[in-house]
Amino acid sequence: MSAHDASSLLSVEDLHVHFHTEQGTVQAVNGVSFTVGRGQTLGVLGESGCGKSVTGFSLLRLIRPPGRIERGRIVYHGLDTELDLVQEPSGSALLRQVRGGEIAMIFQEPMTSLDPVYTAGNQVLEAINYHLDVSQAAAWDMAVTMLGKVGLPEPQRIMHTYPHQLSGGMRQRVMIAIALACHPQLLIADEPTTALDVTTEAQILELLQELQADLQMAILFITHDLGVIAEMAQEVIVMYLGEIVERTDIESLFAEPLHPYTRALLESIPRLGTRDGRRLQAIEGIVPSPADIPRGCTFHPRCPDFMPGLCDVHAPTPQTLTDGRQVQCFLYDDQRPGVRNLQS
Amino acid sequence: MSTSSATPLLTVEDLRMHHPVGAGMMQRRTGVVKAVDGISFTIPIGRTLGLVGESGCGKTTTGHCILRGHTPTAGRILFHDPDRGPLDICQADRRTLAYIRQKVQMVFQDPYSSLNPRMTVQEIVGEPLRVNQGLSGPALRARVEELLTVVGLHVSAMNRFPHAFSGGQRQRLVIARALSLRPALIVADEPVSALDVSIQAQTLNLLQDLQERYGLSYLFIAHDLSVVEHISDEVAVMYVGRIVEMGPTYQVFDTPRHPYTSALLSAVPRPSPSRTHQRIILQGEVPNPANPPSGCAFHPRCRYAEDRCRHEIPVLQAAGDGHKVACHFADSLSLPGIGQV
Repeated sequence: MSAHDASSLLSVEDLHVHFHTEQGTVQAVNGVSFTVGRGQTLGVLGESGCGKSVTGFSLLRLIRPPGRIERGRIVYHGLDTELDLVQEPSGSALLRQVRGGEIAMIFQEPMTSLDPVYTAGNQVLEAINYHLDVSQAAAWDMAVTMLGKVGLPEPQRIMHTYPHQLSGGMRQRVMIAIALACHPQLLIADEPTTALDVTTEAQILELLQELQADLQMAILFITHDLGVIAEMAQEVIVMYLGEIVERTDIESLFAEPLHPYTRALLESIPRLGTRDGRRLQAIEGIVPSPADIPRGCTFHPRCPDFMPGLCDVHAPTPQTLTDGRQVQCFLYDDQRPGVRNLQS
Repeated sequence: MSTSSATPLLTVEDLRMHHPVGAGMMQRRTGVVKAVDGISFTIPIGRTLGLVGESGCGKTTTGHCILRGHTPTAGRILFHDPDRGPLDICQADRRTLAYIRQKVQMVFQDPYSSLNPRMTVQEIVGEPLRVNQGLSGPALRARVEELLTVVGLHVSAMNRFPHAFSGGQRQRLVIARALSLRPALIVADEPVSALDVSIQAQTLNLLQDLQERYGLSYLFIAHDLSVVEHISDEVAVMYVGRIVEMGPTYQVFDTPRHPYTSALLSAVPRPSPSRTHQRIILQGEVPNPANPPSGCAFHPRCRYAEDRCRHEIPVLQAAGDGHKVACHFADSLSLPGIGQV
């Protein structure tokens, strides 16, 4: 899969983000590469500490010290020329145009990501005025239209309300209105429904799908929830401790997961309607601290298919299978001894 | 799975918890929030009752009432003690309450804020034993060691502080502390929702092992329906302070009788991309319990609502096989369960 075909909007190549703390270097993102296609939804699946949020933030160059993008490229293809966001100076006009104008982000906590002292209208207007050269009246109309588009009742009235007057679901709708006010081509959605109730979650997911079809935007959907990802994404990358362990289309993720971690994750969740056994297949152990990553394959201490002498010594490299899926595991590496063919 | 034959451990009858709401500088009383408004249920010995609902429905308040964190406005909570017979938690005096609180323990959602960061594991797990049973020295130490082993932690953890543990390990510590006084009932309020997916399964398995081993009963409060289905024998669905549906888990999930339950089940994102989704998207949001809608609180969001629903509050009525539902049209509606949505 070439990173530069015409359909790709953003390609990330060998991204490394490290945090230099007093306790040592935390390798939060460790050689991540992926491509987001235009109008597509790429899901990023992982548990806390796997680097999925840091990946999202680094696409907007929002990594603060002691964090740093150590190396890699983040190439944005949405403008006339290719733009490597990593190379842009941090205050450049181009970067500011991309941030919010071309690539926007929504967060998990709608409570803390809105400013409590400004009205909802004010915060939507801020985004419009910053990026677009329009009159105040036109900006106001755009903001009202946007609030209506995200399904808020009486958008004229919402313009004048403060965040504390809105419920969690309505705040997330305001956040989406701010993010989409300038019609970005890519939306980074970092666990946007995790803090919401299940009926509100269903509303927000449906809204995002409608808006995506309407505005033809791509979404990078970051979540830990297998149910949500099944609903939203066409392609998925599974992350574990700063690395992509598997990249697959959504059907194969559930039908035939490849990496032992992905398989274990799928077996460990209780599913509605299955009452076959009383026990869940739990994954052994705990996610290691990112400051203390195991040698070799980072999943080997918890892996049911652990091969001594191989997994704890050598680090696996990503293997591309014939159907285009990618997995980083020795089980699929035919150059190595001890390979098992799981496909049969 | 008949519940009528099982011996009840906790019986809640018409429990009400109304909080006064004040306004202005003098906090003049302007109304009440009916956080819990007349709920009844029974938890048999060794069984799990799952209490589900969205935020603000009163499920956490119910749990707090059982431990008398709040003193309920009305109703009875009977704890059927094997030695002392039924004790009403709502009316209990200090000494009785101290006794009941040994028998009923709580596990909280957030293992980061429910452990004192300045106490060692031995102090945390040992404190209830020291205070209530006067244990000290080697006896205390031996019991703490035993408890740590039971929840799957290494004995070497004794002298460490909570910060040295991950979320899942901390939740094990919270469970060890809850077990220390050999309780009969554990009120578990969202015990796995703060944990990572891979850790959730470990914790759920542990809770089930402990139930088998000690014959514990659980009131399992959660919003995650798949977790509740997995762990509960019976389920009660709450909406704005009332139970709208209750019954054996498989019945409530397979053949829900209340439109809210059905919509809730269909809203859960399912981990299978290929299935055709007949999702019922509820309009609007959970009403404010300070100002609930008239009649059936669910009527503004219910697609089957008729005029009667706006005026008359439906009562929870038996619908066969231990299944209860509070809907005027429960008999005429045919609602999709988890098989169909």
